[in-house]
Amino acid sequence: MEDTNPVDTEKPLAKPPFFKSWSGMYWLVLGNLGFLILLFYVLTKVYE
Amino acid sequence: MRLLDWVVLLGTLGFIVTYGVWKTRGSKDIEGYLKGDNSMKWWTIGLSVMATQASAITFLSTPGQAYEDGMRFVQFYFGLPIAMVIISITVIPIFYKLNVFTAYEFLENRFDLKTRSLAAMLFLVQRGLAAGITIYAPAIILSTMLGWSLNVTILIIGLLVVIYTVSGGTKAVSVTQKQQMAVMMGGMLVAGYMVVHYLPQNVSFGDAVAVAGKMGKMNVVDFSFNWDDRYNFWSGITGGLFLALSYFGTDQSQVARYLGGKSVGESRLGLLFNGLLKIPMQFLILFIGVMVFVFYQFNQPPVFFNEAAKSLVYATPYAGDLRQLEEEYTTVFEQKQQAVHGLVTALRGEDEAAIASAQQQVETLTNSAKGVRDEAKEVIRQATPEAEVRDTDYVFISFVMKYLPTGLVGLLLAVIFSAAMSSSASELNALASTTVVDIYKRSVKQQGSPQHYVTASKAFTVAWGAVAILFAMFASLLDNLIEAVNIVGSIFYGTILGIFLVAFYFRYVRGNAVFLAAVLAELVVLYCYYRTDIAFLWFNVIGCVCVIVFGFVLQPFVGKKGVKV
Repeated sequence: MEDTNPVDTEKPLAKPPFFKSWSGMYWLVLGNLGFLILLFYVLTKVYE
Repeated sequence: MRLLDWVVLLGTLGFIVTYGVWKTRGSKDIEGYLKGDNSMKWWTIGLSVMATQASAITFLSTPGQAYEDGMRFVQFYFGLPIAMVIISITVIPIFYKLNVFTAYEFLENRFDLKTRSLAAMLFLVQRGLAAGITIYAPAIILSTMLGWSLNVTILIIGLLVVIYTVSGGTKAVSVTQKQQMAVMMGGMLVAGYMVVHYLPQNVSFGDAVAVAGKMGKMNVVDFSFNWDDRYNFWSGITGGLFLALSYFGTDQSQVARYLGGKSVGESRLGLLFNGLLKIPMQFLILFIGVMVFVFYQFNQPPVFFNEAAKSLVYATPYAGDLRQLEEEYTTVFEQKQQAVHGLVTALRGEDEAAIASAQQQVETLTNSAKGVRDEAKEVIRQATPEAEVRDTDYVFISFVMKYLPTGLVGLLLAVIFSAAMSSSASELNALASTTVVDIYKRSVKQQGSPQHYVTASKAFTVAWGAVAILFAMFASLLDNLIEAVNIVGSIFYGTILGIFLVAFYFRYVRGNAVFLAAVLAELVVLYCYYRTDIAFLWFNVIGCVCVIVFGFVLQPFVGKKGVKV
């Protein structure tokens, strides 16, 4: 018989692996976006 | 193609298909077949989400787009990370709590059956057409470049996908997409290295980027606002956000990827992984296109990249005209090559006056070359009126076939086939699951056994595969089909997103009101399409906002049918 993995809906807010809370992960993604836009802006200005 | 290329290509594709079938054999119920027994870890989900979005056209067209238009297309993805965060916070917990198989199942819980059926049918029509195009678009380019029959190429892609998608369902799609992403990114990195490696010895990587910048290709971000401009910061961050919310939050081909997660946390991490890496990945692909552009400043490009179309012209009375234009193009290129070398020298000397002078000379010669290219396209159009004169999709594959060494050609073709297979597999799997869960199981046969629904899912996967293959085979008979399908997608996505946003955030609005609001919003979007010049990305915003506003306005007048979750 194959193992099945029941859906873990009991712990929807379990901690992410790299931060204490999910907010940290969300800010990492949004911060990364801000950093990339800034980097791209600098690239555009340097090479225009 | 040499023997080694065939070995690499067939070995890669054969391994992926065999692995997918072997690894996922024996799904016995619909939970296992359509949701992979909720066993997927976050990295599998993240790679699967990225592989679903990255179709073959991503790898064929995006470098060509950068070759013509520079880096600015990357702004199209600025809204995506924000959408990943919003979906992780709101959509995923609700889908998990209701334990749904499809996104549209949720709409019946929140509104009523007619709203669920409307959204499911819109998805089936839209995605059914897109599945054919996902196969057709790369097949037309690959068959042209490889000299294969178009129908044979379509059949190869379609049948390979159907084999493992039917066999293993959602899990097979996800596990094969891990291998496919590895092939895609590995192949593109090798191609990027090779194009830089092939630059002249006296031109460094820094020189190449500087030349690209002076020739207007490093235009990554543009903060100026213009409604008609397709790609700028504002259209990317707003229109791109709404498009990404629609695509990842309501399109079953993506929803199925993260609904197979082991937990809410695994699904969230998978989407956030995509939010972190998608923009760098697109930047890399565009940058490779820019490097191919720089490469062709030092190595003569063909006057027209679709060699097969040119061959047809050589057999007509227009052959002489085309050959004369090719000679003119060679003359202009030789002058431009000297001018670009002059620009490199000026850039190294950091003499502003010399740089400006060299840049002016390069610009003049670039315009001359473009003029000759436009004339060549006109000759091709006159000689073969049915020919497609837009050749940017052929830029990258033409470089691969002509300049990459034996073995790497096979690898890059494997990249393109893998991309076509990964997105097609997700589409067929999503079409089958929506047909079974939202139509067949809900309205046709409600009391079947688990095995019956697995068999039905497999049968619908084969059926949708056959539809996609047939549609791809007949696609060439219709004019502007790809454009038509893209426009249809943009026109409907905003409205569908509006329905879902009302469902998630505005409990005051019920079934009848949202149904009528969706119809009215669609009329507004159609008016914008026919009567204005608004760029298509904005249709997603307009459709979505109209559903929400009309829903609130209509709610007091149309009764309270529909329940709250």
